[in-house]
Amino acid sequence: MIDWKLILEVIGMLIYATFMGFIFMGIERKAMARIQRRVGPPIYQPIIDTLKLLGKKESVSHGFIYDFGPIFALGASIAALLFIPLAGFRLFSTNADLIVVAYLLEIPMLGIMLGAMSSGNPYSAVGVQRGLLTMVAMQLPYGLALIAVIQYWGTFKLNELVSLQQAHGWSILVPALFVAMIVFDMVFQAMLGLEPFDIVSAPAEISMGPMVEYGGKHAAILFTQHAVQLFAETAFFAVIFLGGASNLLELLIKQIAVLFIAIFVASIYPRFTIDQAAKFFWKWPTILGIIAVLLTM
Amino acid sequence: MINELLIIIFAPLIAGVIVWALDIKGVREAIGLIGAAIPLAYLAKLYSTVLNEAVNYSVTVSGFTLQFQLNSMSWYFAAVASLVGLAMALGMASTSKSSYDWLFALMSYTGVLGVFLSQDFVGFFLLWEMMTFASFMMVIRRNKHESLKYFVLSVIGAYAMLIAIGILYAKTGALDFATIRQALYIDASLGAISTAETALIFGLFLTAFGVKAGAVPLHVWAPGAYSETDQSYTTFFSGALSKAGTYGFLLIYILMGYKLYAALGTFHGHLTFAYIIAWIGAITVVVAGFLAVLQEDIRKLFAYSSVSQVGYILLAFGLGSSLGFAGGLFHVLSHAVFKGLFWLVTAAIILQTGKTQFKDMGGLAEKMPFTFAMGLIAVLSLAGIPPMAGFASKWLIYEAAIQAHMPLVAGAIFLGSGIAFAYVVRFLYAVWFGQRPSDLEDVKEAPLPLLIGMALLAVPNLLFGVAPGIVTKYLNRMLGGEIIGGDYYRLVTPTGTYNALLVAIALIIGLVIAGLVYLYGAKVRKIKVTNTYQSGNPVTEEFNLSIRKNFYRPLAEALDFWLKYSWDRFYERLAGITEDFADSLRQSFYNGNVQSYSWYLAIVLLILALWGVL
Repeated sequence: MIDWKLILEVIGMLIYATFMGFIFMGIERKAMARIQRRVGPPIYQPIIDTLKLLGKKESVSHGFIYDFGPIFALGASIAALLFIPLAGFRLFSTNADLIVVAYLLEIPMLGIMLGAMSSGNPYSAVGVQRGLLTMVAMQLPYGLALIAVIQYWGTFKLNELVSLQQAHGWSILVPALFVAMIVFDMVFQAMLGLEPFDIVSAPAEISMGPMVEYGGKHAAILFTQHAVQLFAETAFFAVIFLGGASNLLELLIKQIAVLFIAIFVASIYPRFTIDQAAKFFWKWPTILGIIAVLLTM
Repeated sequence: MINELLIIIFAPLIAGVIVWALDIKGVREAIGLIGAAIPLAYLAKLYSTVLNEAVNYSVTVSGFTLQFQLNSMSWYFAAVASLVGLAMALGMASTSKSSYDWLFALMSYTGVLGVFLSQDFVGFFLLWEMMTFASFMMVIRRNKHESLKYFVLSVIGAYAMLIAIGILYAKTGALDFATIRQALYIDASLGAISTAETALIFGLFLTAFGVKAGAVPLHVWAPGAYSETDQSYTTFFSGALSKAGTYGFLLIYILMGYKLYAALGTFHGHLTFAYIIAWIGAITVVVAGFLAVLQEDIRKLFAYSSVSQVGYILLAFGLGSSLGFAGGLFHVLSHAVFKGLFWLVTAAIILQTGKTQFKDMGGLAEKMPFTFAMGLIAVLSLAGIPPMAGFASKWLIYEAAIQAHMPLVAGAIFLGSGIAFAYVVRFLYAVWFGQRPSDLEDVKEAPLPLLIGMALLAVPNLLFGVAPGIVTKYLNRMLGGEIIGGDYYRLVTPTGTYNALLVAIALIIGLVIAGLVYLYGAKVRKIKVTNTYQSGNPVTEEFNLSIRKNFYRPLAEALDFWLKYSWDRFYERLAGITEDFADSLRQSFYNGNVQSYSWYLAIVLLILALWGVL
């Protein structure tokens, strides 16, 4: 008894998500360039980049874990994507709830860290350190925002969140959840690795941090991972705060809206240092998060 | 035929004594292993019996009746302890050459099993003290100062428990759990025991069990004691012995839950006493977690991490809902298996390298691949990566905490798991990856018994991760009722669902896709770890560029305000003040002047005369 429809949906969704993820990356670069009054690369540039990287004749490796890291990261991103209800496509989302997806979205980080650590490069080590500290810092407001949503709607299931929002209006129309959304959006900036929290890669300081050693197909896998992750995270945002979507176009519009907020914030602010970021996250977002949580109790 | 329960409890102790008396290489390990395996075997045999009815046994010793009972709850705790106990024995077969270690390790094993199986306070207290004494003896052999800390706090805990038992005995006239429970249940409506007295008993028990569980602020003994002993033994120390503390918290619920509810009432819709426990747990999770992140010693890191993880269990029990109990009990199991595994890995590292500081290690993954794989499983489980046992239990605690409407407590879990992620990756990086110091070039894989011990603990991490239903089905039976629905692979709570098998499959699908991209990609050329991008600034191999010391320095900077305060230093200062005070008393009273001594005598006599004694 094989559910062919589900299998086709999964395959189709993976292809669509990867492609759109690359386009999102392209939009990000293009929009950033336009804000800075540059011409910017074409929107499909990340796809070309990735194909070029895949076409390299030889990659170097620092050992098994160095290879395994990016694979694990991409695998986990794909797994996370499969548990998010994407428009009409439920995929596996009835089988895992918000907490599971929130955790699955964090695993790719571990994969990247694993790979980065197994090379002897000090830049990657600094990147790993920064990545984990950002995670520690953002975890509390992130958790509070999610808790506010769960408490208000009274369910952990993403599917039910979507149908409840379609029946009673989007989460952000509720004042308490609007506060939670603001908190989540600040955290979102760090999740996407954009300014002011692009401490992890910080191209000007530590040459892309964890990614510094990667080239060739390893880098291509990491690019793909970033694309899938970008798609999954924006979809996650849309599902919990913007009422999900009934078709892919609606979802796409919401995802791009979310993405543009992130891009605009990113192009205005300079980078925090890591201890500033920690202090920031433990101050305003946490206070707002506590307010949101108490309002929804 | 000797009773099975007595065999379960005392087999390790007897084996320990034999081992100690014989002390022959080879025989020592064999007998120790058999002694450690017997409880597990008997518990496995009694599994189906326990599910239907409790097994009872009682002995009368000089007027006191000691009652032992193997019910579904004590079976669970005892099974976890004996699994860890067997792994400990396997580890000790490699790491410990001393019969002294074997004797006291097995003695504390007996103590722990006895605590779980006792049904009255006489046996409970005696075996509790045996467990404390044996573990204290393990620590004192290596470090006097740390053992003294452990000793003082344990004594405080023991006195607190003794006083609490005394009050309960005075009020109810009974020492066995069933009668006390009944008496307190009836008293909840009568109110013969006043609120203040109930609160006092609660506070005393909280102290007694909090010390053993390592709850903040009574955790200060744990980092020292966990570090300064044979690391294989720490597997048991932190994996099972700390569970005795959490078991004590459950005992509070069982014995006096209703009375406490009647006496202390509710606070914003939560049971007041449970709310206290939940916050103790939440604070423990966060404080110990942050301290773990900042440690520079592998043993200290895991010691603080143990404290932090036991905090999760207290937190879950403090939620007071049956889902909370289920989550906490599941975490008892998963903490025991992943932290036990961590300590065995630590034992292997220390045995093979002789180093304990992160700054002296690095690049060991190539030298000890199997140990590394085991360490990675433990890391994934502790960090709560689905589908691992650590995730299943944490997931239940999340669900329970948010459903119980304790959002700030749930926030503490989020923060705590982020922190856990940070410190386990620190361990991964510093020990396994990066440039290898030149003196670690000839490190070898850990010895076989130790590896078997690791595998023994790694299997449950995977098994109960992919099939968490095995555990939750048992917990449903234990707690009486369908608390967590679903089947072997699927957990269903009223508001959430988690299909561990499907998550595992999705991960595998993802890994296969990524793996195919990798396999069909270009050729791979392997290069040295040190051959890296250095911005056109090549570095020779003499420089070790791996960051091993002060890895999380920015965090310490962000936390500098909070790090100024330390319970450790507070206690040290308290001890110092007490010492100074006692010293000044001694100097001013015993000043060597005969006249003042005669004055003291006169004053004392006067007081006694006024009192009417003379």
